[in-house]
Amino acid sequence: MASGLDIFVNHTVSIITTDGRNFIGTLKGFDQTINLILDESHERVYSSTTGIEQVMLGLHIIRGDNVAIIGLIDEEIDNRLNLPSIKAEPLNAIVH
Amino acid sequence: MLPLSLLRTAQNHPMLVELKNGETYNGHLVSCDNWMNINLREVICTSRDGDKFWRMPECYIRGSTIKYLRIPDEVIDMVKEETSMKNRGRDNKGGRGGGQSQRNRPAARGNFGGRGGGGPGNKSGNQGGRGTLFNKNKSK
Repeated sequence: MASGLDIFVNHTVSIITTDGRNFIGTLKGFDQTINLILDESHERVYSSTTGIEQVMLGLHIIRGDNVAIIGLIDEEIDNRLNLPSIKAEPLNAIVH
Repeated sequence: MLPLSLLRTAQNHPMLVELKNGETYNGHLVSCDNWMNINLREVICTSRDGDKFWRMPECYIRGSTIKYLRIPDEVIDMVKEETSMKNRGRDNKGGRGGGQSQRNRPAARGNFGGRGGGGPGNKSGNQGGRGTLFNKNKSK
């Protein structure tokens, strides 16, 4: 009944954008074009050599055009992760 | 809360705008519209690689070219004040219906056919009003 994103509001979400970046933050709002408000957001920068680096960013409006995936984050599991020890290749941008 | 309401509230605040081509624009938001087209003042443009900079007194950015906007943290608290003021005005007039919880979750409108129904409080209020009218007529 509730349209997809309703249940994500005021929860921690992970956004993957079409340029292959990963933003984490609290979803504060959205509209019909999937423009998003992300509060207390940070970017996770993936690297196969140094592990995941977190960049604090703050309050963001992400334009819907650039959103590829929105996922709910289980904070309990997420807090258990040791990000600097996780090494992974960064995602590529979407190719049209 | 709607992203464009937040953007409207951010007028006269500094912000960073990244375009889809990777260029970033730092400046103060002068105005914006429903398509996210924006006017910035005192702008510093940074090239995709961050190695070239341009200063300009003002610029206009087409909304569809924007990737994201970074705005000051405190702006989100100012939006809440504005919407709650609006709600108070509407409730007093008794127009349209729609409780506070509905306004904060925009998608709920579409799903539940927002306009007519309104919150449970509003609905029962209307029915109550009609009911008392009938009762009066009967008693007379």
